[in-house]
Amino acid sequence: MNSFFLSLLFLSLLFMTSLSEGQGKKWKGEGTTPNLESIVIGRCYEYTRIVNPSVGEKNCSELWEAFKNAFIKKDPCNILPTDYELFINLSLHTIPPNKSLFWENNQLLVNSFSGRTRRYTALGDTLFGFFADLLNWCGQATSPGLDYDSCPTTEECENNAVDSFWRMASITYAQHSSGVIHVLLNGSAEGGAYPVKGFFADYEIPNLQKDKISKIVIWVVDDIEGPDGDSCGIHTVKILEDRLKTLGYDVTCTDDYKPVMFLLCVDHPDHSKCAFSSSAPAAQRGPISSDRGGSWNKLMFVTFVGLLFRSALVY
Amino acid sequence: MIANSEEKRMKSKDGQNSSTQLQEAIGLRSPRLFLEREYVTISVQAQQDKDCPKIWESLKQAFIYKNPCNITTEDYQPLMELASHPIPCNKSLFWSKTNDLVHRYTKSNHNFLTLEDTLLGYMADRVSWCGDPSAPGINYESCPKRTECESNPISVFWKMASKMFAEAACGVVQVMLNGSIEAGAFRSSSIFGSIEISNLNPDKVSAVQIWLMHDIGGPQSESCSGYSIRRLKDTLEERNLKFTCEENHRPVQLLQCVNNPDHADCRLCSSKTETP
Repeated sequence: MNSFFLSLLFLSLLFMTSLSEGQGKKWKGEGTTPNLESIVIGRCYEYTRIVNPSVGEKNCSELWEAFKNAFIKKDPCNILPTDYELFINLSLHTIPPNKSLFWENNQLLVNSFSGRTRRYTALGDTLFGFFADLLNWCGQATSPGLDYDSCPTTEECENNAVDSFWRMASITYAQHSSGVIHVLLNGSAEGGAYPVKGFFADYEIPNLQKDKISKIVIWVVDDIEGPDGDSCGIHTVKILEDRLKTLGYDVTCTDDYKPVMFLLCVDHPDHSKCAFSSSAPAAQRGPISSDRGGSWNKLMFVTFVGLLFRSALVY
Repeated sequence: MIANSEEKRMKSKDGQNSSTQLQEAIGLRSPRLFLEREYVTISVQAQQDKDCPKIWESLKQAFIYKNPCNITTEDYQPLMELASHPIPCNKSLFWSKTNDLVHRYTKSNHNFLTLEDTLLGYMADRVSWCGDPSAPGINYESCPKRTECESNPISVFWKMASKMFAEAACGVVQVMLNGSIEAGAFRSSSIFGSIEISNLNPDKVSAVQIWLMHDIGGPQSESCSGYSIRRLKDTLEERNLKFTCEENHRPVQLLQCVNNPDHADCRLCSSKTETP
């Protein structure tokens, strides 16, 4: 009898534990960014009014609706790139030739380097990329239709709202790129500078329009403090170069592309890789400081004279 | 420093929706978005409890339906109180005539904050606004330039925000000045010279560090021992603020070299040639 009750107690405890676990977060990933609607609509206006007015007027509310309808109230594990088709059609604009910049494993660096379209127009510098960059979102069947608590990671399900968005955006970006195409790779990245399975490999390269592209320029730059992993002509970079050449592209590759090196050096000015050669300008003078107390100097002078006088007396 | 936006005119094709657009461009750059920006991560705590719609309301109330040549600091007081936040010590970066360079720097190096990297400055950067006594109360056609009237909404805003930014500074503060301009690196008529210096608190600020930058390949119009820098030194010392000056602060010079990689002044020891 006792053992029966003990088993019952044990089972109830197990049941209660599993119940409370179920009341925890549904998914392993971060939830939808709070104030998502305000942020993206604000970004849309910021982009079209300030960052890049050449794209013309866009209806920012309409853009939000199209974006939202791709995933709101839906199963968060069943969102496809094509669900964003209307959003892409509404936000699409020309990408200037020779300004496309593809990348892998160096998002912040690319963001800095592209200069928000001043130097290059990376995916995050297009309206559709700028709209969603660094944000997170997913839907749920129940009201309010967006899950602010948690969202599925790629491991939990591939067809999640965010990954599908970036697949669609990457495809579109590649399709509308022309002229000289640039790719910035991280030579210190684990697993190699060119991920053979990744956004660039799977969604961008296959969607490049060969007849609109004159050349593909690859830059491989190592982290300043990082290991010297991949370089042009070896390992994964060679795989990439061969793949592109086989596809018929004119390909060049450069290690330690100087402008990017300089940018990385801003955070490591004293590193040996960042040292200027000896012919650096004379302008590099040492610091000039203020005399905090003219009176202090006077005191020192008087003391010195006093000491001199005293030694003179001694002799 | 008065932002370039002060000189811009804001136009809108659809007057009806433009208030929403202005609201959304300014007021709804919410704290969350701000938090996402890399360069804010050092002061995340300070921004957690900001009410963006309320901030927009207080900005709007400062100028809507008012004569755009008659704006006062009192008009902006509620906004300043709502949107201000503390600045970590040793991180304030002031500037004069180095708008582009200083902001490229704070975007790459997250150790420093200019006024335009604080919530208030960030919201208002590159945006213009002004009111009008007749409906809808906001003028989307044109706004007075500083030369037309000094007490215009944009000038008053930036003067107030600059004052508060200086008052909030503590520890070692940095100033990026331009040593390649003819008129001199330091001018007492600039926002830095006329407002920021006089609002630095000597009890909180331990030193003022000048970074005097020359354009790569540009004229070296002034050095740390130059005329206007010496005047700056005197002004600071009069206020009991310690002064140091460094020419071509390395990390910033490296940033300038991004745009001039082949210049003789940008030759790196480790430079390699292109591999075909």
